[in-house]
Order: sequence, then structure tokens, then C-alpha cells
Amino acid sequence: MAKVVRMVAEIIAERCTGCALCVYVCPTVAITLRDRRPDEPGTHRRIAEMFEASCYNAQNCLEVCPEDAIVMHRLAEPFTVGTDVAQADPAEVKALCRKAGIPGRGLVCMCAETTGEELAAAVLGGAHTPEAISLATGARTGCTELCHQPILQLLAAAGHGDAPRNPARGFQWYGIAARALDLVGPDRVVPDELLDAYAQFPLASDLRVMQGDFAEFEPPAASAP
Amino acid sequence: MTGLRAPMTPPALQRTWTGRDPASVVRMRAAELPGIVALPVRSIDPSLPAPIWSADASLGPTDLDVVRRRTREALQQADWTRIEPRSTVNLIANPHGFFLCGEAYLVMLEETQRHLVAKRECTVRLRIAESMGHIENPDWMRIYDLRNRFGDAEECPQIGRGVEIDTRVGPFWLTRDLFSADHFVHTHVAEMREGYLHRMIDRLHKPFGMGYTRLETRSAYHFGWGPRTGQLVARAVFDSDYVQQRYAGSIVLDTSPEGVIGVDADLDLDALNARITTGVLRHYGTLMRLMAEIDDVIVVFDGHGCHMYAYGGGIAFDCLMYGQVDFLDLDNLALLKGFASRLPDTPGLTMEFNPAIKAQIMNYMAGGVPYTMMTRRLPTYLVDGPAAEWLIDDPASPWLGERAHIAPDLPAAITAARAATGSDHLIVFDSTPGALHVSEPLGQLLLERAPAVAEHVRTHALPKWLTQRGLATHRPA
Repeated sequence: MAKVVRMVAEIIAERCTGCALCVYVCPTVAITLRDRRPDEPGTHRRIAEMFEASCYNAQNCLEVCPEDAIVMHRLAEPFTVGTDVAQADPAEVKALCRKAGIPGRGLVCMCAETTGEELAAAVLGGAHTPEAISLATGARTGCTELCHQPILQLLAAAGHGDAPRNPARGFQWYGIAARALDLVGPDRVVPDELLDAYAQFPLASDLRVMQGDFAEFEPPAASAP
Repeated sequence: MTGLRAPMTPPALQRTWTGRDPASVVRMRAAELPGIVALPVRSIDPSLPAPIWSADASLGPTDLDVVRRRTREALQQADWTRIEPRSTVNLIANPHGFFLCGEAYLVMLEETQRHLVAKRECTVRLRIAESMGHIENPDWMRIYDLRNRFGDAEECPQIGRGVEIDTRVGPFWLTRDLFSADHFVHTHVAEMREGYLHRMIDRLHKPFGMGYTRLETRSAYHFGWGPRTGQLVARAVFDSDYVQQRYAGSIVLDTSPEGVIGVDADLDLDALNARITTGVLRHYGTLMRLMAEIDDVIVVFDGHGCHMYAYGGGIAFDCLMYGQVDFLDLDNLALLKGFASRLPDTPGLTMEFNPAIKAQIMNYMAGGVPYTMMTRRLPTYLVDGPAAEWLIDDPASPWLGERAHIAPDLPAAITAARAATGSDHLIVFDSTPGALHVSEPLGQLLLERAPAVAEHVRTHALPKWLTQRGLATHRPA
């Protein structure tokens, strides 16, 4: 799928203090800081500037602004952003999803309803940073949370895990958090010390499931009551 | 209070942090619809303990002094000696606490601040761990005047600056401002939300894997761990040096679906978790399993909380959304599709949305959480007006406008949903505690089925849930 963008953010000049928090959290890097012009209201030297075409209505800026200096406006003409998976080589898309360990046809961004294949197609089409993927697909511009990790995994699997943060001091993303599959050693076994340390969890069983082995659950357990 | 009764008055809609005022635009509440009745939770489970406080006087006492006294007692019994004199302490709160228990949660926070300042000679600041995305939370800072009441109070969004920590299983990122102090105190309101994720394993630890963390950690919790293992993230973060160097203790408002039943505090989070979990399984289990008895239902959202975080009768909508599966039984895989790159062919292993849900109506519902996957297959109705426009413009539901039907008013939405589904069963999630607002036929069905479900939970399900968690010999707090 894709994202229908219905709103755009606007900076209220007289309230903006140029603190840059909005710049640091925008998933599509649609905001920068510049010097305030003499004819603009407000007292601080710096002011945020919005590039409307890159604003995908994520509203992170609205949430983080301490001065209530951002408002959202409805667009007269909503627009749609997305990546056509048919434009990419299906074998390459499949291989990249498999290498990243994300479902190809399953939804990864639940907001824009973007599949793993669509995200992989965007990477293969030249989107080599999280913000570039967001601009190409609309993913990561809704709740901005759920699809965060799979997108970073896809980039790493495609050899772009070293993409610099943009802006450098920003925090629209940091890095790949720990995953269960990281605990599996080269011998395909989880060390006993970890299984013991987290004995309250069916870790070994869940890891088999995450790798596609469902044998222990067949026939399926009956639901109760 | 037994049997079906006249509808209760649902909690008033509050102004949100975005400045929206749903009370001024919602023309009719679902509880005002003809044929809607209240099904008291106590009719379903007469064994529930009496609340010490409830938001509704028909359910229990509304006097907050009891909560204050019980909080002071709990505080005095707990060990706070990790806090040195003249140190700074972040008292970490969360929007769910204000949403579910309002003034009672506020009182618990206030008493905790006073106790620690008096006994440990420290500075205590309130820090609110904001929840996912842009949920239209009521503006708790202004509603409860938190800066004046606590002196130093700040909201800390999950998109804010992070801090990377090392854990035994690898790196995670936490919300830096929550932990920017010498110590922190963990607060919680016990209830049954997101059970399909945390599976009631280490329940009280969950904010360390979700609410207190940055986007990276939350996303990994959902996508990087198994269907019964997400809470390992929370456990690993809690056990980390970074967290343990700052952790000073926990305090919890214990609840039943009717309101607050106690206050408990402990430095030992495992011991506290064992007591609270035992109680939650006992007090919410029957109501949750009763959801599996519903074969067809139209869901009406009519309060704060987005979709799976909307509440009715003391339980969250997700208890119905995945109600066909006993996900508290750890023998059930209950695999959400996002957890595995390959899915099983065998029916029953993956957990889909409950097929009993035939349609959904949004009279008022907060945005912020993705849910439009359900609109792909479910007739969805919005009640015309500003509240519908807010949902259509919500960043997390960009396709809603293309899929939802717009009804001129709530009765028309009900009529359309009934005609489309043939169902006479309505259930309302309007934040009313202690009773489900349902259509009378659904109320009668649930009343008929409740005794057998309660018996099954008492004799089979509850003992199994407790045994699976090593709690068979524990008593609730």
C-alpha cells in the first residue's frame, strides 16, 4: 500500500524559539533551522523552516514542540506516496527480505500498510537511509514506532547499516536494538546460560517458531474454554 | 448489583493535549442509545473483592482518603534506602494510570512524593512516560494541574532524546529524560491491557521494555522477539546496570474491573509482580474468557483510548479483539504475523482479529495507533462531524477515509451496521468502569454463559495460568 498524506505542518514564527527539537525528530527530515528574517515576528535569532513537500503528516514535530509553535493544516488536495514493488527484481526483493529476516508479504508499517517487499523495493531502488525509505514509501510516518526496527534491519542487510544520522545530533533513529535471533550461536543453539537466566520465558521454543519450525505445536493446542 | 440494569453515565470526554474538545462535538453517547443496558462485571464474577475506591459511586467508595491512607501504609512498609539524602528522584508515571484511575492515581503519586521527600530528604520530580505516537491523550498536565501539584513535572515522549544501554542480550535505547536523575521510582496501575503481548509474564516489568523506552526498543519488542518472549526485553532492560544503578523501588495501584482494590509497594519488583499478577489473573480472568463466548458483535468506540486501548467494563478492547484465543495459556502459541518471517500452515497457531467482530463504529475514538488493517475486512462507520475528521486525518490511519462509511449520527450508524451484519449484539467501549454497556440480547447471552465460564476459569484455566508462571502457591496482594 502507500500513505495518503492529508495534513501538513506549519511553523508559527512568533512562537518558534529555534530549539531544533522538531528538526531532530522528523522522520522525513522536512524541517531545518535558518536565521530569522528581520520582517518575521519572534525574538530568537534562529527559526524552523518547513519543506512542505517532504512533510508526510507524521506530527512528531507537533508532539515534541515545547512552545506549541507548530500547527497542522488540512491539505486541499491530499497526495499519495508509495513504492511499486513491481518495479524491482522479485528475486532481489525476496532475497533482501530473507536476509533481513522480515516478512515479505506481511505488513511491516501498520499505518501506511507497507509490506516488507515494498520496503525492500524502495531500498533496492536507491533509498539507503531511514528517511529516504520513509519518503519513498510513507512508512514510519504514522505512529513512527512499530516499523522502526525492521526498516533499520533492511538497510543493514542491504549494506547500508552505516548510514549517518540526519541531522547528526538528531534522534529520529539511533540503531538496531537486540533481537532474539541474535542469541542463536553459529551452532544454531542458544547458550544454556541465557536459557537459564530467562527461564520464565519459553525462549528456545519461541526461537524455533521465529525460524519457521512449528513442529511442537502440531496438532494445535485447543483454545479454552 | 446483579443482572442487567439501566446504563451508567460514562466518564466525561476530556480536552486533549492537541487542544481538541471532544465533549463539544460528540452529540450523543452510546450509553444513551435505546436498548443499551449495563451488565455489571460483578454479575459475571461475584467473587470480585470490594473496591476501596471507584470512579463511580455505584461500584464502591469514592473517598480518596482511603487511597491516601493505604498508599502511606504501603510506602512505610517498603524499603526506600537506596535513595540517599539530597539526591534527585524521578517519579515515573504514565498516561494509562491517569486514564484508568484518575484522582486515585494522582493521590498515590502525591503521597509517594511526600513520603520520599520527608523520609529520604530527596528531591522528587514527576516524569510522565508518554505512550505510543500521537494518541489523543487527555491533557493530563492541565487537567490535574500537575506542575503546580508536583512542582516539577514533565512529559517525556518516546520520540525524545534517547540513551543507549547495554543488557545481557544486547543494546536497547531508553527515553533519556525519564532516567536523568540519581534514582527513579516505578509506578503502575495493574490491569489487563496488551495481554496478547506480555502474556502476563513479568507484567510489572513491561514499561522497561515499552513505556520507558525509545522507538527502537518498542519496535524490537514487537518485531524482534517471539510471541511469548517480548517481555524478555523488559526483563533484560530492568536487570541492566544502567537501570539497577538508578532503581529505587516500585509502587502499584492494584485494581479489579470495578476500581482500586489496594496499594502495594516493594523494592523487590519480582515479589511485587508475583502478588499483583496473581490478583490480576483472578480478577480479570473470567471477564476476559467470557469474550470468547461472543459469536457475533458490533463494536462501538465511544471514549478516550485508541482502538485496542479503548476500555469498557474495566478491560481494554484488545481482550475482545483477540478474545477467541486464551493467550494467557502459554501452551497456545497465539502467533501474531509480525513475529515470524515464515508462518505456519496449521490453523490455530496464528492469532488473527477475532472473527466474532462483524463491524465497528467510531462515535468518538482517539487516534494514534494503527488499526486500519481491520477496516480492510470489517464494515467501519464514522459518525459525521469533527471527531470523524480527526480520525481521518490521523497519521496512523491514512486509509480510513477511503474505507469507512460516514453516518449522519450514531443511531444511523447503528442501523447501518445492524443491516450489514445481521447482528443484534452491540458492545460499547466508553471507559465506563465496572460494567459493560451492551445491547440487551448480548447482555442476556453473557449473563447466561458467565457461570460456566467462571467455573472453568476457577477450576481449570486459573490454576494452569498460575502454574505456568510459577505462582500456584501465591496469594494476591
